[in-house]
Amino acid sequence: MSASDPNEILLPPLETVSTVTGAPEVISPRFRMPGFPRGQRTPGRRLSWVIIALLIALTLLAIFARLLAPFDPVQPASGLNLPPGTPGNLLGTDSIGRDLLSRTLYGIQVSWFAALIVVASGLIIGGLIGTLAGVFGGWLDNLLMRFTDLFLALPGTLVAIAIVAALGYNLQNTLLGIAIVWWPYYARIIRGEVKSLASRPHVEAARLAGTSRTRIVFRHIIPGVIPTAIVTASLDIGNVVLLLAGLSFLGLGQPAPAPELGADTARNLGQLLTEPWIPIIPGLAVLMLSLIANLGGDAVRNLIGGRR
Amino acid sequence: MLTPSDDRSAASISGLTLSLERDGVRSNVLRGIDLEVLPGEIIGLVGESGSGKSVLALALMGLLPERSNPVVGGSIRVAGVDMVDGRPDELRAVRRDELGVIFQDPMTSLNPTMRIGAQVTESSRNAAESLRLMSAVGIADAELRFTVFPHELSGGLRQRVMAAIAVAGKPSLIIADEPTTALDVTVQAQVLDLLRELRDEFGCSVVLITHDLAVAGQIADRIAVLYAGRIAEIGPAADVLHAPTHPYTVGLLRSRLSLSTPRDLELQTLRPETASAGERMLGCAYHSRCPLAVPECRAEQPPLVSVAAPATATDTETAFENEPAATTATATVTAAAPAPATSHDRACWRSVDDVQGFIHTGVSAASVLPVSVSGAAREPAVRVTDLTVTFSLKTGWRGRGRGGGRTSPAEVRALRGVSLQIQPGEAVSIVGESGSGKSTLLRVIGGLTPATSGSVTLAGGGAQMVFQDAGSSLTPWLTVGEMLRERLLPLKLSRPESQKRIDHALTAIGLPLTVARVRPSELSGGQRQRVALARATIIAPAVLLCDEPTSALDASLAASVLNLIREMRKELEMTVLFVTHDLSVARLMGDRIVVMTHGEIVEVGPSADVIERPSHPYTQALLASVPEIGVLS
Repeated sequence: MSASDPNEILLPPLETVSTVTGAPEVISPRFRMPGFPRGQRTPGRRLSWVIIALLIALTLLAIFARLLAPFDPVQPASGLNLPPGTPGNLLGTDSIGRDLLSRTLYGIQVSWFAALIVVASGLIIGGLIGTLAGVFGGWLDNLLMRFTDLFLALPGTLVAIAIVAALGYNLQNTLLGIAIVWWPYYARIIRGEVKSLASRPHVEAARLAGTSRTRIVFRHIIPGVIPTAIVTASLDIGNVVLLLAGLSFLGLGQPAPAPELGADTARNLGQLLTEPWIPIIPGLAVLMLSLIANLGGDAVRNLIGGRR
Repeated sequence: MLTPSDDRSAASISGLTLSLERDGVRSNVLRGIDLEVLPGEIIGLVGESGSGKSVLALALMGLLPERSNPVVGGSIRVAGVDMVDGRPDELRAVRRDELGVIFQDPMTSLNPTMRIGAQVTESSRNAAESLRLMSAVGIADAELRFTVFPHELSGGLRQRVMAAIAVAGKPSLIIADEPTTALDVTVQAQVLDLLRELRDEFGCSVVLITHDLAVAGQIADRIAVLYAGRIAEIGPAADVLHAPTHPYTVGLLRSRLSLSTPRDLELQTLRPETASAGERMLGCAYHSRCPLAVPECRAEQPPLVSVAAPATATDTETAFENEPAATTATATVTAAAPAPATSHDRACWRSVDDVQGFIHTGVSAASVLPVSVSGAAREPAVRVTDLTVTFSLKTGWRGRGRGGGRTSPAEVRALRGVSLQIQPGEAVSIVGESGSGKSTLLRVIGGLTPATSGSVTLAGGGAQMVFQDAGSSLTPWLTVGEMLRERLLPLKLSRPESQKRIDHALTAIGLPLTVARVRPSELSGGQRQRVALARATIIAPAVLLCDEPTSALDASLAASVLNLIREMRKELEMTVLFVTHDLSVARLMGDRIVVMTHGEIVEVGPSADVIERPSHPYTQALLASVPEIGVLS
């Protein structure tokens, strides 16, 4: 082993357990998982769990937005342009008296689920194409990957805009537009992962053991791809949140009265100097969503990345 | 021995303790090491993985990994500078001016984006000097090689480049961490010679870290045997090898395979560890594995004290016969007695006589070889006829550029017409260096690599394979039980029946049944290789293919896995094909030995004949490079 790997000496190794561990331990070191000593949580792991908890809280907020919102988001609720902190309207109201808290909660719901849907569909389409290409190789690999390259070569945002412009401005078309440009990344990553796993000795050992091809793919390859896929996808949710907000800022989201974070920011930009909270609050919500999503992605990577 | 800041020594370690942290768990890696490295001395640090030898090297360089939060006690002085508490710029100066380093893997320790010459010049500061150094370390055509990149050189040449860089700053101390482990045996010998030449020419000291006593024995003046972060025994190389005074050294020497190890007897192994970490800390760390342990060993740590008298007259004689270098080292030390270079120290409660008496105790004489190898009358288990395998390399723009851009893609002929017949029940070893095609042959027989031409016929029952890296040959997310059960699927057994087979297979490889519920990451290297073997043999295959299954294991563990394979072979009457780069392993595992080089078989014959009377020059060269100790057999 190379000297640059100090971990060498810490792995409880072999039958000749010659490692010397400081703390006296009762359990036999023979079956201790090297990376995961029992009962030990590093600070990094604890923080990761806190962020995961935030992620879950955010999802719950999105799910129960309708119950939590005090007012109907499209009907005027009280006075115009009330500042945050007004009794009854916690975050204030906009220029036609709609409750900003309610609009933001609904907006979070739309953004969050839209992002999850886009990432999930990308994962499914990309995962399928990547796995097929990686497992079969040869001409199918070439065909699928050149097709993927074609999509990768297109400027994603512009294509999404074009699709929405062609099909009409509504949420479904926006999602469709983003989903169409989003899967190729996953296809690439998953194909690479499948290929590298398929060339590992454990897959060869399974082949020698007479295991069927389907079984090899589902038992010996795909479980190894899942951690990478989850990490990639969770790091990506934040990007989709931002892209969706950007598109709706440009007017490519839901039509006018519907609550949407990007559109609410854009439409009320005129009041930035007079009643700044009206455009800023939905903007902050976007910031919060993408921040939590990105931190969540890192947390997921910390938690499952170490296992591989 | 304890002369902390001796000006004469190249490096001086005293009372060194070190603990490192990993995943929140702190381990005591070094537990009180005293060591003087004298000028012009080659000292071999020998130990198994986990003994702390590599960390000791890092500590000497002042390069302990920050993220492991090292806690160091005692002192390390290199050229008079404190490597523990010194200022970063002082340490850097020592590393630049006083230390040279050679790592195990020269590919990863050279910068792949820099030309060789530029890398050497970084240390030597001028190109002419670099050229001179490159020639000095035995790089032929140094001018030509000056402008190439590391990947364009062979492993041996890369290691020479590392050596050139190591001596470029005219260091007083070279630290070589397993410099030969990744190299072929013929190249190993050259690199060891090179280290000795560097010492002779530049007068520097060398700390040679290795897991193999014989490698250390080849060039070291003194050998220190490390066990669990302490020195178990230290002394002049010949004394340690020929008259060991610590049971662990004896165990290491006995479990080491050599060309004279009896073929038909079970190989000797060290006892497995049974003490918990806490128990090991209390007394002698080796006590639970030591056949000579007495209650005292469990209770109190033995101090490192001098071996009072030389063991026997004959031993001393051989010591000076084999050790011309020892005299050089002694000469540099002035009259002070006992000088470290000649003192032989040990940490053991038992007396020297007890330990040395134990060297000569007999071993069980039960033969492990099958009673008879089936006669040639039967259909062969493996018939390989005129096999060729050609890999085509996808060439980049550089490859195509030559010859006007329309040449065919580069081809590597891994096998060039190999024919071989193996009888049922026979064991054949295939020996060769990297690139000889030995593994490719095995993979074609196993059906993992398609043949370009020629044919392979296997007897009914098929082939199973045991891979070099047991860890990666097991699916990480499946439990051992799941993997074994998968092998039984074609038999369509009922659940209790397959459970019975799995239990039986685990018992056969000597692992507890609870292992079935465990994933590979929770097993040790030796245990993983056993599981791989269980998977291969749970349904007895006609042919068992072994691709260097022990080359990643410590000597004693390797011996226990080899024992197991031979036992299985006898029990299941399997045909075994064993690929290895190690001639002593090949001799033990094969009834016949096949020697391969450059994709061709150059010699085939009964093991004893090939080893004792090699006919092909290549086999002779291989044999000549095997490091041997030649005692304790």
